[in-house]
Amino acid sequence: MRSGYFKERYSELIVLTDSPAVKAWTAVLLLALVAAPMLLSSFLLSYLTIILFTLIGALGITVLTGFTGLITLGHVGFLMLGGYAYAIGVTRLGLPPELALVLSAVVPAVFGLIVGIPSLRLHGLYLAITTLAFSYIVSASILAGGKFTGAGRGIMVTRPEILGFDLSSDRAFYWFCLTMCVLAVLVTLNFRRSYIGRALVAIRDNDIAARTMGINLVRFKLLAFLVSAALTGVAGAIMALYLSIVTVEGYPFLLSIEALAIIIVGGLGSVLGAVFGTVFIVLLPELFAAAVSVVGGRLQDVMTTSAHEIRSVLYGLAIIGFLRFDPRGLRGIWHDIRHAWVYWPLRY
Amino acid sequence: MSYLIQLIVSGLAIGAIYGLVAMGFAVIYKATGIVNFAQGEMGMLTAYTTWSLAVTLGTGGVVTVFIAIAIGALLGLICERLVMRPMLGEPVLSVVLVTIGLAVVLRSIVTIIWGASPHKFEIAGADTVVDLAGVGLRVSQIGVLAALVLALAGFWFFLRHSRFGVAMRAVAADEKTARLMGVSTARVQAVAWASASALAGLAGALFAVIYGLTPTVFELGLKAFPATVLGGFDSVLGSGFSGLIIGVVENLVGGYLPSTLKEIAGFVLILVVLMIRPFGLFGEKRIERV
Repeated sequence: MRSGYFKERYSELIVLTDSPAVKAWTAVLLLALVAAPMLLSSFLLSYLTIILFTLIGALGITVLTGFTGLITLGHVGFLMLGGYAYAIGVTRLGLPPELALVLSAVVPAVFGLIVGIPSLRLHGLYLAITTLAFSYIVSASILAGGKFTGAGRGIMVTRPEILGFDLSSDRAFYWFCLTMCVLAVLVTLNFRRSYIGRALVAIRDNDIAARTMGINLVRFKLLAFLVSAALTGVAGAIMALYLSIVTVEGYPFLLSIEALAIIIVGGLGSVLGAVFGTVFIVLLPELFAAAVSVVGGRLQDVMTTSAHEIRSVLYGLAIIGFLRFDPRGLRGIWHDIRHAWVYWPLRY
Repeated sequence: MSYLIQLIVSGLAIGAIYGLVAMGFAVIYKATGIVNFAQGEMGMLTAYTTWSLAVTLGTGGVVTVFIAIAIGALLGLICERLVMRPMLGEPVLSVVLVTIGLAVVLRSIVTIIWGASPHKFEIAGADTVVDLAGVGLRVSQIGVLAALVLALAGFWFFLRHSRFGVAMRAVAADEKTARLMGVSTARVQAVAWASASALAGLAGALFAVIYGLTPTVFELGLKAFPATVLGGFDSVLGSGFSGLIIGVVENLVGGYLPSTLKEIAGFVLILVVLMIRPFGLFGEKRIERV
């Protein structure tokens, strides 16, 4: 048992982890994820794929709402922009898929700046409304875009070949998602521990105090918008690839709520929380459906006729329940379990 | 010219509905400092319940309106007691997120119970067209405008002269001092939720009478946001009045420009307003001291 934690150098304070156990388990998890397509059925693999690209989007909202404390209700707007930027880049502009993928990060980032600028003058609640307005404006503009944006019909996208790898098989696509997801996690983790990330957290905790410490609120809030929008845009593009089509209906408002639910359930402001939240929220409807099918009866008919609504109710209840009973989220519960495991039979 | 007048008048009618919902937003914001994102959903649930009751009981116009107000108030009280009361004293971020969760749940419950297909909310005589100086108006539209005027007058009196209204303003101005003076914050919050929900319920039911009952009634909440932002979140009367402005602007945009723009006209307007006057037309400018 460790007797205490001693940090001797500054770099040790901000290192990602100093525990060999965490490193070992992370390696095991990574290996398991890489090997997963060989072991899992294609049904389970598709869920794993969904979890991976949802996690990228969840990391996007973590940067904005979790780190910086700016509430957004327009997350789906960035997803939509990312998906459409990719689809338009490939089909209309004839770009190679790699470049289109970059475009799917750049276009939402630019729009993130545009939304970010008015929000600098606004406090939390007004910002939520501005972002909400933004997502509605995005979907209305896409619908009004005529042939260029495909209007109501959407644009078909085929799975491309990226850097020489053909993504048309489900396995290859899974590995692609895994790579992107690991990259996104690394980016977010390192972003959080850098000077910028610490500045963002300072703004969240007390913006006036942060300002007196010499943090430029304008620059860092815009930066948060930029990074968040870029990450989310990539998630939107991968989502488009997964569905093979981009339509306005493919990005319903519910996704904004889902994104919020993920970071609340997982625990606001942490990457680990985003991971837990994503797994929980993606699997929640399925687990609920499985539980209902065991019970059977009339409830099952309701399940089949209004699956979308049941999902919404579950997300809503998850948000309310976690905020009411355990605002620390799943991450807090995980922390307690780990604590109990390490120190057992002692309490502290 | 008569087209323009027609657009303005029907814009005023829909604007009055936005105004009622917007007043609800402002009441809750003023009393508790949070934005209730479930406002439109509460209106929708009330509208559906009122419809079911009105159809089974066969009530007339005025009675239906009172049923809507009563159900709305009751719903507000229930939501406040079960969901919002335990959150008293939590950070604003958490409380607002809870209202978002509440919104999603209420919205889905309506669709699960009543289904997604539209219904006609029929009230005898509501669709009769009255000719007012050359402009055709339905009785229900006149009723909406009357409701807004009555609500504005009522709230002006309530906030200005009633003991409870003054208590509400006191809580808004300084919660801690208000509590030291013996004002019960929880009770103020309960009354704020009940009255806001009653306003939303009234608006939802009237909207359903004019435009039919569909699961998209909750969008009233989204449409009323611009009104509240324009009026200023802490100005109840200003929000009600701004509803009229938003309604007219939206209708004019819809009348002269492509129809997709009509849906987002209000949102574009608030983006502009927030950039120029972030505290709204009638709101109080917040000064932060360190």
